[in-house]
Amino acid sequence: MSTSLAERDVALVDLVDRLLGGGVVIAGDITLSVADVDLVYVSLRALVTSVATAEEKQLLPRMGDAL
Amino acid sequence: MIELYAITDDATPPDPPLRAVRSDGLSALYAPSEPHEATIDELRRHEAVVEALMESRDLLPVRFGTLLADERAAARAVAERSEELAASLDRVRGAVELAVRVHARRRDADPPPRGVSGRDYMSGKARDTEAARAMHEPLAQLARENVIRPGPELLRAAYLVDRSALDRFVALVRRLQGANPELDVLCTGPWPPYSFAEGGRSS
Repeated sequence: MSTSLAERDVALVDLVDRLLGGGVVIAGDITLSVADVDLVYVSLRALVTSVATAEEKQLLPRMGDAL
Repeated sequence: MIELYAITDDATPPDPPLRAVRSDGLSALYAPSEPHEATIDELRRHEAVVEALMESRDLLPVRFGTLLADERAAARAVAERSEELAASLDRVRGAVELAVRVHARRRDADPPPRGVSGRDYMSGKARDTEAARAMHEPLAQLARENVIRPGPELLRAAYLVDRSALDRFVALVRRLQGANPELDVLCTGPWPPYSFAEGGRSS
């Protein structure tokens, strides 16, 4: 098992938060939206207990370990 | 059509298929695109492009899914806000964004465990909330700016951190996690400064 589903989803909530809720708003002709965002949040809430040992996206060390 | 990825004042041309259109000293980085379904994979792909750009330049990430007719439309849209965008770029220069979310290790939706009174359960929750809030302060002190976002967690925050302070920030997160074993501290990044591109507020 390399990148587990839980690990991917830990970063996913931050990803969705940023790409859809952040960034510079430039007046575009079309702004795409993601229809299943609510589902993403629901599945993440369900994962809350399983992410305790999840490693973060890329560079950061494991935060779940007590030092 | 074209899809915007980032605004920068760095003149280095991006790698194809990305291109740059200059406007008022700023460059809008874009790629040819058509309206498409916005899936999670698309979000990941978009993010990978912006992160690659971020490695070699300061930038403002553009809100996902911004499609314009052509280069000229992009140059016009940037020119309309060029002063504001230049000021935002200065604010995030040399910094990256870190996301921190804190939640209780037990699942919020769970009923109180057997043998624990409702009152004890509630005061435990209040303690967790206070502990999570208390984490924010030292993190904010290491950051240039911060913003607390709404969310189901005890704390959902974003911090704008100097690249040179990144290691210290991560070390602090680890210390806070170590000192609060009843909480999960989830930190991701470094992200492009999504939460500070439109003028993040500090609390």
